[in-house]
Amino acid sequence: MSDPSRDEERRLVDRAKRDPREFGALYDRHFQQIYRFVYSRVREQTAAEDVTSEVFIKALKAMPRYQDTGRPFAAWLYQIAVNAIADRYRSLRPAQPLEDFHDLSVAGPAIEEQAAHRDEIRRIWSIVEELPAQQRTALVLKFQEDMKIEDIAVAMGKTPGAVKLLIHRGVSRLRDQAGALRPLE
Amino acid sequence: MSDRMDPMDPELNDVLGDPELIRIARLLSRTTMPEAPLDDAFKTGLRRQLMTEAWKSAEGGNAWWRKLFAPQGMAWAGAAAVVLIAASVVFYTATSPAGGLTQTVEIGSPQQDSPSVPIHQAILVSFNQPMDHASTENAVQVQPATTVAFRWGGDTQLYVQPTSGDLAPNTQYQITIGPGAKTLAGTKLDTPKTVTFVTQPVPTPTPPPSPSPKNNMLLTNQAQLTTAYPPSGTTYPPVWSADSKTVYFVGGGGALEAVPAAGGTAKTLVPDGVSLPAMAPAGDRLAFVRNGGIEILTLASGSTSDVAVTPAPTTLQWVKGKLEWGSSDGIFTVGDGGPVRIAADPTPDGTAISIAPDGAHAIFQVADSLSIVEVASGKSTNLCGGGCATTFEGWSPDGTRVVYGGVIATLTGRTISSLPGTSISWSATNEILLGSDTGLYEVRPDGSGLTRLADGTYDMPVWAPDSATLVFVRSGLWVATAPAPAPLPPATDQALTVVSDFMDARLKGNADHAQQYLDDAAKAIYNSGTPALIPTGDPSFKRFYVLTSEVDPSAANTVRVVVRMVFASGKDEKNTVEETLTLKREEATDPFLIDAVTASAPRDLGKGPEVIGVKITATEVDVTFDSDLVPTSVGGVTLQDSNGMTVNVTPGYSDRVVTLSGLQLTPGAHYRLVVLPTVLDVGSRHTASEYDLDLIGPAPDATSGGAAPSPSPSPSPSPSPSPAPSAGPSPSPT
Repeated sequence: MSDPSRDEERRLVDRAKRDPREFGALYDRHFQQIYRFVYSRVREQTAAEDVTSEVFIKALKAMPRYQDTGRPFAAWLYQIAVNAIADRYRSLRPAQPLEDFHDLSVAGPAIEEQAAHRDEIRRIWSIVEELPAQQRTALVLKFQEDMKIEDIAVAMGKTPGAVKLLIHRGVSRLRDQAGALRPLE
Repeated sequence: MSDRMDPMDPELNDVLGDPELIRIARLLSRTTMPEAPLDDAFKTGLRRQLMTEAWKSAEGGNAWWRKLFAPQGMAWAGAAAVVLIAASVVFYTATSPAGGLTQTVEIGSPQQDSPSVPIHQAILVSFNQPMDHASTENAVQVQPATTVAFRWGGDTQLYVQPTSGDLAPNTQYQITIGPGAKTLAGTKLDTPKTVTFVTQPVPTPTPPPSPSPKNNMLLTNQAQLTTAYPPSGTTYPPVWSADSKTVYFVGGGGALEAVPAAGGTAKTLVPDGVSLPAMAPAGDRLAFVRNGGIEILTLASGSTSDVAVTPAPTTLQWVKGKLEWGSSDGIFTVGDGGPVRIAADPTPDGTAISIAPDGAHAIFQVADSLSIVEVASGKSTNLCGGGCATTFEGWSPDGTRVVYGGVIATLTGRTISSLPGTSISWSATNEILLGSDTGLYEVRPDGSGLTRLADGTYDMPVWAPDSATLVFVRSGLWVATAPAPAPLPPATDQALTVVSDFMDARLKGNADHAQQYLDDAAKAIYNSGTPALIPTGDPSFKRFYVLTSEVDPSAANTVRVVVRMVFASGKDEKNTVEETLTLKREEATDPFLIDAVTASAPRDLGKGPEVIGVKITATEVDVTFDSDLVPTSVGGVTLQDSNGMTVNVTPGYSDRVVTLSGLQLTPGAHYRLVVLPTVLDVGSRHTASEYDLDLIGPAPDATSGGAAPSPSPSPSPSPSPSPAPSAGPSPSPT
């Protein structure tokens, strides 16, 4: 079954490649996820705005050269975002407390169970923040942005195998450093 | 036993392998970020900035002032300027002591040649040298005739905006700076300069974007009900209780089991040998086949009654509280003296495989073909042949449509729409679930409203009677709650979508695609060549827009759309042709098809005020023109009834719109809008001939007309790059 959402995206991309004035539709479609991702990495609103602006301006200018490789358009935007963040924030660490940042999703356990897990969640994500940048980015794209491994590979400029390795190493390191985590179920 | 574990991304199982790593990954998946703090002004401002860049990029390829200020152009311009200045000084000092340097006046505009200028957009005309304001404003001419106000940005940028506020939609404008305009140095334009562009349709509210799931969040309350389903061997679809609270399924060994949809332990109702379970509409009895006969289980008491049948049933269906079944001998029901055959097998070797919910029809499989039998008459029709026997998917709830082989078809086998999947369930509220190994989709029967509900394995979905809960197969039987579907668009909007796609296909010259939106009657009309399906020649078909649309209250499931086709030579739009399209559908769940078309004679543009939109209600007709009108001339806009008598009404006028109000139009009655050549624009021009548009009196609560979506070739409601000026009131009738 073809993915109607992808077909629609291809149409939007084709139109934007032909006429940059059509880029607005792609912006509307992807702004929120790119901004959210950037913010998750830089944790500061002004910085997130600067980087997000850079991402979309670069994307607009590069649209004529964009090649559809079969991956979602968003993967390309993430790629620009990953590079922009790396360029500007290579030496910086997040400043905002982690507990302000990661909440249990609505798909998670009941409220009382959430409370019981909260410390564990904080621990895990605090370890994520200490992971090497590439492992950290791979985990965020996989678990927060819900991307497929092949799309993460595009975003990070790596092979799918390398992304798998980053995820495996990242999660393994979490296991090693988090110690005995309370079983979820 | 209910197991509410999160579904795990199969990719991660492959990557992580180790259960502990998978557990940590699941923990990471179960956290989500709160929405990042976002300043809406930033989002809007960035979009505006991007669109400004986009406009510059789009227009800059051939605009002299862009090239001039581009880096490379700047270098060349600088070099050229040096040479020019040197040459000019020599020339000036040698030959023209009393004169001065002169330069040809050039103009440009970011709107030049744009096919979709927003109607709220002020038009920017840029000059290559400082201009005298008064003479330049007096030299501005706007076509169609429009009263405009001016604002200057310095001496080189002139903003032109209609005093009514907006430009007319769907209109080609030409803004001409005549030779009377002078520079501050006193140089006059040597020739008129014109900015040409086309405006967008009337903006319509943007529909909310299709939801895109993250971690299957569109489906809620996902939980595994049992691992005992599907059993090995033959699988029968689960059936729901009437209150949508219990799921009945046939598990291993043919055991009939019941499990609460809210989760809990499955209870065995019949230990073995059960097949073809069928729930009575009232939810009080469950019929099934066992030991070659039919058993009916009364759920409240647990008692079972037997119906002896021969040969063994191959399908069961409750029809209005009465059980019917099919076999290789035909269709049967329970009579006073036992089984009664109500329809025979159409062929000696056929087998009944399904009975419609209303009992009016049944499907028989004959080898690899499907036949549909009208139960009352026994008349059979071949539905499809050659490998289609295994793809029968089911019926619409009212039994008027069948689904097989990925299509929805009429009972005569005419395809209504195609579905992007074959594992379907059609709800009582006409929402279709499409399950697969990779995702779950929801779609309306006419193919519209396709929504991806979730990624992952969602096989064999079955709606509950509440049309909100569903079960599906994924390593066991799972339950979930689907989001409420988007409201069904009005019939006119559905018809306009068809018209838009049809006209787009014609505009692109794609006859095969365009034919898909025509029924046989309309195909015959277009095949006659009048009107042409794909117009050719010069002027050429350039764009289209919808003039008006209305539900025809005199005919069921019928919408009438008047679409205007614009023809141009080069970029100059020369004339228009109107096609009145009648769209019909048999059932409200079907997509519209174009059934009839009539075309008007070509009408020349640029002669005087033209109608560009008509909105009709039971009490009012609003007629929008492309030009500002002389208010005292709008009496030339009248409405005639079906006898040709003028309806007694005094028209009102404001901002290009003539309003005929206080009407009491008869639903379904025919009316004619008449615009006489006595109607004048503010340039005192009038059209050469009368304009007529036939209308139908709408239903009392219906609204239709030109404000509906009316696509142009590339209507992108993107914000415009130029800031809208707060034009000072310096009206300039043109």
